[in-house]
Amino acid sequence: MNCESYEDLLGDYVDGARASNRPGGERLAAFERHLAGCARCQALVADFTSIRGAASTLDEQLPPPRLWARIAASIEEQRRRPWWQRAFGAVPAWAPVAAAASLAVLIAAATWLAWTHEPTPAPQQTAGASAEPGGVAVEQHYEAAIAGLQQLAESRDASLDPETRAVLKENLAVLDRAISESRAALADEPANALAQESLLDALDTKVALLQDTVALATDTGTVPDDAAAAAKELNQ
Amino acid sequence: MRTADLELAARCRAGDADAFEELYRQHARRLFSLVVRMVGSTADAEDLVQEVFLQAHRTLAGFRGDSTLGTWLYRLTMNRCLDHLRGRQAKMSRATASLDDEDAAEPMAPVVPSAISRMDLEKAIAALPPGSRAAFLLHDVEGFEHQEVAEILGVSEGTSKSQVHKARLKLRAMLRR
Repeated sequence: MNCESYEDLLGDYVDGARASNRPGGERLAAFERHLAGCARCQALVADFTSIRGAASTLDEQLPPPRLWARIAASIEEQRRRPWWQRAFGAVPAWAPVAAAASLAVLIAAATWLAWTHEPTPAPQQTAGASAEPGGVAVEQHYEAAIAGLQQLAESRDASLDPETRAVLKENLAVLDRAISESRAALADEPANALAQESLLDALDTKVALLQDTVALATDTGTVPDDAAAAAKELNQ
Repeated sequence: MRTADLELAARCRAGDADAFEELYRQHARRLFSLVVRMVGSTADAEDLVQEVFLQAHRTLAGFRGDSTLGTWLYRLTMNRCLDHLRGRQAKMSRATASLDDEDAAEPMAPVVPSAISRMDLEKAIAALPPGSRAAFLLHDVEGFEHQEVAEILGVSEGTSKSQVHKARLKLRAMLRR
């Protein structure tokens, strides 16, 4: 065996592994015999040990006290943002893939804003009668966006790893339940503002999740951990 | 440990600002040092650590206790650092080829001084390619096992070992007496 074939064991040896303290360490024992007669490997072990020792004593660098203040202020600022800014504030760089769907969402948001700014109906009119047509139009925009994104997501589904796919599927199920519950509440009480807002929030979140799904499947074929973690956020 | 992490994560999710500050105080020092060494600038490190903690605040719901909160935060941090370096490297087209292609004759005796100057070591670490720098910092500076390094960087344990080996070889070449 030549020196290169022991590369991984040389590292383990520098980290403190010895055949005497590793069960089944036959290869390590072979390396130790090789090491006893190999000046090159002895030099590497000595130098790597010095480097490792020096690295473990490097000083910590303290973050400035203002850093926590900045983080706390940003969290507070995010908390105060209206829901539509939180939803549309951070459009990722891959957006062209879902540009058409995003446009539909913007139209939906505009319709929703216009709808909510309509003059208050006269007391004799029922709120449900005036709210329903606008609500249906907004929903239709969302449904169109969702349908388009779902098609994109399904066509790229195979490039996601099974764990991420399962989390995304679970999150979509959570959102679908929220959408169904909001719709059921609106069917009983069409003027229920809370149910209307919940429905639109759930639809909006579903669009964002599907956009994330398409992005994850489109980027590299491998899912960054932080993006997968972001997808899991909906489980709460 | 995991139970304490899950409790802290649950308090953070419930909007307990003190809990999130506790999380920051527990991990910010080590993460900040790591990021400074990864990106070579305290100003950039401040921005990146801020982004990491904001991302952590947004995504804590995804923390299931499969790893420790520390490992989870390290993973977010290293992903962010490597993204940052990729962007910067693309912009600057900084070549590390001369270092990568170095083919010095293999010394048959130790060449690194037994007492390495910290400043020399910091400079040499800064000159490593990002991948091996990340593995070396996590393993030799932060003291993580290869299995943990692999988990944080999303690579295999063998890749972690190989990257640390490459880093040590390059550092050895740079720190020769």
